[in-house]
Parts: sequence; C-alpha cells; structure tokens
Amino acid sequence: MSFREKSAWAMIAILALAGLYYYQKIIAISLAAGDVAPPIIPLVIVYVVFIIIASIVVMPILAASSGKEANAPADEREQLILAKAGNWSGYALGFAAVAGLFNYSWTHDGNLLFHIVFAGLMLSQIAEYGFQIWFYRRGV
Amino acid sequence: MAKRPPITNRVKELRAASGDMSQAALAEAIGVTRQTVIAIEQGRYSPSLESAFRISRVFGVGLEDVFGWEGEETGSAASS
Repeated sequence: MSFREKSAWAMIAILALAGLYYYQKIIAISLAAGDVAPPIIPLVIVYVVFIIIASIVVMPILAASSGKEANAPADEREQLILAKAGNWSGYALGFAAVAGLFNYSWTHDGNLLFHIVFAGLMLSQIAEYGFQIWFYRRGV
Repeated sequence: MAKRPPITNRVKELRAASGDMSQAALAEAIGVTRQTVIAIEQGRYSPSLESAFRISRVFGVGLEDVFGWEGEETGSAASS
C-alpha cells in the first residue's frame, strides 16, 4: 500500500473518530435539553484541534515507515486522483447544504441547519479520502 | 467503478527486454511513482503524453511501439 493510500486511511479513521465524538456530545446535549442543541463552538474547536494533533502524531509514523516515497511530490496520476476526489466530495458537501436548507425552510430550526451542514462538511472530508482510496485502487 | 482506458501498452514486456528493469527504476527515469508505473502496466491509468514520450525514450522505441489502441496491435507487433 502506498504512503498516500495509508495516509488516506489514517485520515478517515481520525475524521470518523472526531466526528463520532462531536456528534455523540451533541446528541447527548440535545437529549438532555429535550431540543436540538445550539452550535457549541468550544466543541467545534475541540474537534478541529483533535484532528490537527492526531494528524501530527500519525503522519510522521506513516512517513517513517514509507521511506523517501513520503517526501516525493504527487505525480501526474496522484494529482489527478486528488483533484477528482476533491471534486466528487464537493458534491457530498453540496448535497448536505441543500438538504440543510430544505430542512430549514420546513422546520425554521437554525440549530439543526448548523448541525446538518457541519455533518456534511465532516462527511465530505471523509468522502474525499474515501474517493482517493477508490481511485488509487480502481484507477482514475 | 472507474472506466478502464482503451489504451494498451507493452511496458512490462519492454522492461523485461531491457535487462529486467525494475518498476522503481522506470518510475524514477520518467518522474512518477512506482505505483503509477504499476497502474500503467495494469491498464488502470493512461499516462500523459509527456510521460508516454518519456517511457518510449527510456526504451529507445517509438511511441506506437509502447502504446496501442484496444483491439489494434502495437507498432512492432503489427510489423513483425
């Protein structure tokens, strides 16, 4: 498995863990309050900081096990894969944004709109790495 | 699933004919990763025109001796 594919798997794991932690908290707060929790910015900061720290810890370990491949710039095929995966994940984010807007027009719940769009952002990031793995394995 | 490009190639065969050149050596010679050479050989990726020319130059043959269109024979195979 190439360094970039291993990195993509690691990022999926990190993003999924952070997302599960975030939404487990939001759901618990919502259930306790009996209503959709408002946006909790400190929790968003914890989510972002966790991803940054986990990436800083994991990536050098992967790089050390991959030799000089880790320092090589992306070649033409890898650049194409990164661009295509980014493009496709944009559709996931767009879908979540539109779903959130439709939901808002129906429920007028701004808190829910925030959570739907934020979940869309999380899922589109995971999808981007998932698409990268797909293209690395199945061809681009 | 990604559609397989209709371009065939003889990269693996030419590597073997060039003293068993390794995939890593070819990758370094044309400026791509070994995974990209593997993807080209397996027909999962069609290289850019620039890389195609680089590959043919490494082996000292023409472009059509390396690459062909699916269902058609490559240059040297057609002439032999």
